[in-house]
Amino acid sequence: MACESESGMSVLEVQNLKVYFESVWGNYKVVDGVSFKTHKNEVFSIAGESGCGKSTLVDGILRLIKPPGHIHSGKVIFEGTNLLEIPEDEFRRIRWVKIAYVPQGAMNSLNPVLRVEEQITDAILDHSNMSKEESRELAISMLEKVSLPVEVARMYPHELSGGMKQRVIIATAIALNPILVIADEPTTALDVVVQKSILQLLGSLKENYGMTTIMISHDMAAHAQIADRIAIMYAGKVVEIGSIYDVFEQPLHPYTKGLISAIPSIGKKYVKSISGLAPGPLNWPKGCRFHPRCPSAMDICSEVEPTMKDVSSERHIACHLYE
Amino acid sequence: MSELLGSLKQRSSVFISLFKRSPALLVGVALFSLLLFLAIFEPIIDQYRLEGHKATELGYFVKFLPPSLKHPLGTDQFGRDVLGLHLIGLKFSLIIGVFAGGIATLISVCIAIIAGYRGGITDTILNGITNSILVIPSLPVLMVVAYYTRLNLIGMCLTLAAFSWPWSTRIIRSQVLTLKQRSYIELARVSGLNDFEIMFTEILPNLIPYIIIGFATSVTGAIFAETGLRILGIGPARVLSLGLLIQQALQYGLLTQKRYLEVTSLTLFLIIIFVSLNLINKGMDEVFNPKLKKVTGQ
Amino acid sequence: MLKLGKISRIAVFALKRLLTYTVTLFLAFTVIFCILRLIPGDPWSRFIDNLRILQLNPQISQNVIEAFRHKFGFDKDVFTQYLLYMSNLFLKFDLGLSVSSYPTSVQAIIMRSLPWSIGLLGTCVLISWSIGIVAGALVGWKSRSKWSSAIFTIALGMSQIPYYIMSILLIMFVAYGLALLPARGAYSASVTPGLNSAFILSVIRHAFLPALSIVVISFLYWLVSTRALTMNILGEDYLLFAEAKGLKKIRILNRYVLRNVLLPQSTGLAMSLGFVVNGAYVVEWLFQYPGVGTLLVNSLRYLDYNLAQGAILMSIVVVLTANFIMDFIYPLIDPRVHMQGKGD
Repeated sequence: MACESESGMSVLEVQNLKVYFESVWGNYKVVDGVSFKTHKNEVFSIAGESGCGKSTLVDGILRLIKPPGHIHSGKVIFEGTNLLEIPEDEFRRIRWVKIAYVPQGAMNSLNPVLRVEEQITDAILDHSNMSKEESRELAISMLEKVSLPVEVARMYPHELSGGMKQRVIIATAIALNPILVIADEPTTALDVVVQKSILQLLGSLKENYGMTTIMISHDMAAHAQIADRIAIMYAGKVVEIGSIYDVFEQPLHPYTKGLISAIPSIGKKYVKSISGLAPGPLNWPKGCRFHPRCPSAMDICSEVEPTMKDVSSERHIACHLYE
Repeated sequence: MSELLGSLKQRSSVFISLFKRSPALLVGVALFSLLLFLAIFEPIIDQYRLEGHKATELGYFVKFLPPSLKHPLGTDQFGRDVLGLHLIGLKFSLIIGVFAGGIATLISVCIAIIAGYRGGITDTILNGITNSILVIPSLPVLMVVAYYTRLNLIGMCLTLAAFSWPWSTRIIRSQVLTLKQRSYIELARVSGLNDFEIMFTEILPNLIPYIIIGFATSVTGAIFAETGLRILGIGPARVLSLGLLIQQALQYGLLTQKRYLEVTSLTLFLIIIFVSLNLINKGMDEVFNPKLKKVTGQ
Repeated sequence: MLKLGKISRIAVFALKRLLTYTVTLFLAFTVIFCILRLIPGDPWSRFIDNLRILQLNPQISQNVIEAFRHKFGFDKDVFTQYLLYMSNLFLKFDLGLSVSSYPTSVQAIIMRSLPWSIGLLGTCVLISWSIGIVAGALVGWKSRSKWSSAIFTIALGMSQIPYYIMSILLIMFVAYGLALLPARGAYSASVTPGLNSAFILSVIRHAFLPALSIVVISFLYWLVSTRALTMNILGEDYLLFAEAKGLKKIRILNRYVLRNVLLPQSTGLAMSLGFVVNGAYVVEWLFQYPGVGTLLVNSLRYLDYNLAQGAILMSIVVVLTANFIMDFIYPLIDPRVHMQGKGD
């Protein structure tokens, strides 16, 4: 493992996590050895194309993987314990209280037959000794914190817009003051205007509540808006990690370069996309997984898989160009 | 010729793969085929077993014989071989089921396609009628019709069909509604086919799995109803269905006489009919509606 | 608090549903009336024969016969009979007089049988539905355990057998074979009806086998369908979110699974009532249970048109009323339902 331990507290440390899906045709190696650390009070972004394994990574960390998927190997260290090894019961107690989750597709994540306030209070009640009244008050104050009017509490999910539902989910997530909030594609399926406000909300969690946030998204612009550090994922592995400024201004990995130049922005004369299609998890290419699409591929790239190395402190890259 | 063989091979491999995907379907079809076989070959089976006499012939064998190799279920109070009688019962029950079910399915397919495809007022009215018939308890009405009109076999089938078509209409209609949205329907419309042609050449072939499910459901419903009516004493006297045999069993007090074997055999035949049809339905559902989401990666 | 707009919306909805049901009732009824009148067979001569036997008088004057004919309205043509009957029915709720049990009114006779039918059916339906749903949710929840697949296969097989098959087997094996429970009637002749424990016990004993025939199969049917529904729900995003929230399992089962299963299964319940009544009538007959089913069969045998019509009408009315009540319950269960028609 090339990533040396940094000084400073890491809130979550993922070590070589592998999540595989079994099928008749073989193992889908959707997450194939991912390692990273998140620091306290930061927004840590994970970026990549669809299919690179980001969402599965999160499901793995949160132990939400369902058969035929399973966690093949790896560790997820949180507050000194490996989350993957503790019994289900114990993990349930950590859920939400310490680690909250804002899932992809808030549209369907709310129970259609329960009122909004019930969906916030049920988590509160199952994790604390508060009375119903107290939990209700807490729920309402959460709604205020995400700038939703109090009336929303008694409404049902189908009466809310997409953006409002996303805010409700976030309100639920911060209700128990977790240490870590993981948001998976929080802005997909929302319109642009709403996206900005949701991102602002997520970005503010660290300042206002001291929460560490991990954000998954394929939208580089979203990362640009609120991330402190970013990890780029490709084909089930992390290829680059660094501070948001460093990575955007000086992308090292050819894939990262491609991603950044593909972002449209006012003033950019042309947008260059990455040629080819992302490969499938059943048959990752031999050697460096990006080599078939890489403009700077060398001979070694099709033979040997590059390992993660430090370029400087806080800057890690897995590419033969930098060895 | 080789083309024919080739396409037959293709078709049969399709069937084989269907069965592989659903053991329920396999068991259901196997059981039902067995029953059909017994029913169709019943005259021959009986000829062979009963030394050329018909099972309904009175007094040929000794009365009340206990079960033996020659008479696996013994003989009844009229000296008739019980198994032979039951096989005839099976035959008639299946005939009624298949014919009534077939007519009902025919009706329901037409109504479902027209209602689903046309939409609008036609759909509202047809759907309304279908739902109304579904909601109402049909047996009382059936009882009246069957009792007073002294039906024969065909009449019985028609009457049963008239009450059981709504069940499969719902299933087929919702499938028609789904299919209507598909793009090849738009294509067909644009290419100038008229409504009837579209309905019967484009939509119908895609409904075949559902029609099969509808058929199995209708057959079940028809046999349910016929047997039920028989038990109440209603139905054509010459049609010796399993239901009539049960009614006779009740009448002759076989239940109080605790003639377990005979009565259980009757109920068992009926149970197997219903179970096999149900398995076919569930099996078809499993194969054509795989609802369980199987995650194979992102 | 109910606002005026909401009240009027509910009222409009109620009227619309009422109208639909009434139209259905009317049509069904007309069909039955016609069938009864247009068939061969004369209830009439039976009645006269009955009278002769009762009066021990083989000669009854033509006047008397005519008077009775007039009383029953059989002297008028079919159409007039129809109009008379309909107007009696809808305006006065009068079902006419029974031909076979003259001079008792059809209503009185039906009212004696109706409580037995509703009691039996009501209890069976409620028990089998509620327990079936909970069991189905549990089995669907633990759908990966071997235990649940085995139960399921058996349940699947048995759920599609008519109630009467179960009745026959129960009668033969339990009532006659083991002589554990009675096979006929609603209560034993030796007890006096009333609120005494002997009577109540007798009623329960007599209702046990008929109820069992219905409950077992009905329960299995609900188990199977709820299991399928539950397995679908388990794949939904809100279930995943509930799990991520670290909610207690019992809460998830209760508020996330069961509550979402409730609406489709309630709709299903209403739709299944016609089927249940059909099956229950045959069960009643087998056990000679004094409900509307047995009444109907007997009325047909005695060629008592009025009674038969009345019994059929009652059956349809009960089912439609239950549906009507359910229409009001749906919005309470599922907030997404706004007093609309039961569309697909």
